[in-house]
Amino acid sequence: MKISRKLKRSILSWVVLSPLIVAVLFPFAVMFITAIKPATEVLKPTWWPSTPQWQNFITMWNATNFGAALWNSVYVAVLSTLISVFVSIPAAYALSRFRFAGKGFVQQFLLVSQMLSPIVLVIGLFRLLVALKLLDNLNAVVFVYATFNIAFSVWMLQSYFSTIPKDLEEAAWMEGATPWQALRKVFLPLALPAMTVTAIFSFINAWNEFVIALTMLRNQASYTLPIQVFSLVAGRYTVEWHHVMAAAFVATIPVAVIFAWLQRYLVRGLALGAVK
Amino acid sequence: MNRSIFTNPYVLIAPAFLLAAFIILWPLFQIGEISLSNVNRFGQLKGFAGLENFAAVVSDPQFLAAGWRTVIWTVGIVAGTILVSIPVALILNEDFYGRGLARIIVMLPWAVSLTMTAIVWRWALSGESGMLNSALKGLGLIDQNIQWLAQAATAFPVQITIGILVSIPFTTTIFLGGLSSIPDDLYEAAKLEGASGWQIFFSITLPLLRPFINIAVVMNTISVFNSFPIIWATTQGGPANSTDILVTYLYKLGFSFGKLGEASALSLMMFALLLVFTIIYVRLAMRGERA
Repeated sequence: MKISRKLKRSILSWVVLSPLIVAVLFPFAVMFITAIKPATEVLKPTWWPSTPQWQNFITMWNATNFGAALWNSVYVAVLSTLISVFVSIPAAYALSRFRFAGKGFVQQFLLVSQMLSPIVLVIGLFRLLVALKLLDNLNAVVFVYATFNIAFSVWMLQSYFSTIPKDLEEAAWMEGATPWQALRKVFLPLALPAMTVTAIFSFINAWNEFVIALTMLRNQASYTLPIQVFSLVAGRYTVEWHHVMAAAFVATIPVAVIFAWLQRYLVRGLALGAVK
Repeated sequence: MNRSIFTNPYVLIAPAFLLAAFIILWPLFQIGEISLSNVNRFGQLKGFAGLENFAAVVSDPQFLAAGWRTVIWTVGIVAGTILVSIPVALILNEDFYGRGLARIIVMLPWAVSLTMTAIVWRWALSGESGMLNSALKGLGLIDQNIQWLAQAATAFPVQITIGILVSIPFTTTIFLGGLSSIPDDLYEAAKLEGASGWQIFFSITLPLLRPFINIAVVMNTISVFNSFPIIWATTQGGPANSTDILVTYLYKLGFSFGKLGEASALSLMMFALLLVFTIIYVRLAMRGERA
């Protein structure tokens, strides 16, 4: 019986995976349940609230300055993604299509800059922004995020671009198309999926970034979501945990849903990049 | 024949390269300059100091403790992640009911910011009101609340466990890519020869997965070594610096203690170490390419 064998395998698979699944879902459960607890019950170690307080999500919005932080996060993540993808596409195209002197150097530079996390450079970056008088400036953070995403984006895009045959553009040149026309009409449409995957990863990285924002954004008006939520917890004697968890939940769920929805393509794209 | 800026590689690379060079190299030179200077806590340079800053870092017992803890942190998380991810990838590579859902759940931590994850755990692990204690009590596993984050003996292992949980998605992805590159006929041939599941795993799957394991080890080592938010958002290196690793110690040196010279010297030392990891990675990746 073929079907029962698959059923047996399914049960076994889920049983083996169950500890990991519980560990992964546990923080989501904690976030959600704490977020809907009445303020008086938050510190009681019960699992379920006596009555779910959905209005916590509304009171949280003002109590945690959520709207401003949300806007800052969207602004920083969208702009830095656009910049990094915009400069990475031509660079990846050049690396996948042309041989030229200094190519090895560019690739090594990108590799090293990918291995460098912002934390190792944070003192130099801080001085850079101080020297440029750009501390507390969201646009400066946008450029730092964009830069730290370039290496990853070029690497992803390049491995995809190499799978698109060069003959296609050459055929377009033969037909009399200019290089720009060949790129726009032939190459870029084929590369669109790769650019989308790369952009989503850049967005998630920027959305979740912590060290740079913690160091460079000193005024609450410029906080992004991770810093805003962190500031509600760190160095405080009383923490409004139901508000913190409601804020964390609202900040986390949209990205998690997008990720879950596109997960198959994202993971396949990354696997392709990593194997190359 | 096609002379155009779109066929000139230097023009195409220039924007990405210049941006990266400005935002990475300038700070790097700054760090180099500060590390060799006497510097006050406002960041003003007061003359050449030679290697004094480096000597001060190396002779600081806190540095040695944080360095040793970084080794435990990195080895613990990387080894734990690999050991969990191999069976997880093997299972997710099989066809079973609900595999799509299982994959989504396993990959989920990837989409959540480490800061948020760490803050949620900080709350879940709280001694008196934390839901982990109440869950474990409910299951009858413990009968007294454990102050998970208030004592070094439990705080650091718990942080390592969180680190493993958030590293599994990326690592499993790499392994799934590796497993899909193993041709099915190999397994069929082995089955025809009457090989057992264990024999197939140890003589086919594991050797062919080796290059992917190597890459996963190096890439995880680099990201775990650099990982800041888990420790910073749960304990900030406390209690009494007992969970500091090099990155949190570096941050404290620079931004809490105002010892910019020593912090820069430490940054350079960590940069050198990361360079070594990178060279190992390149060697492994190139060996994989040649094979």
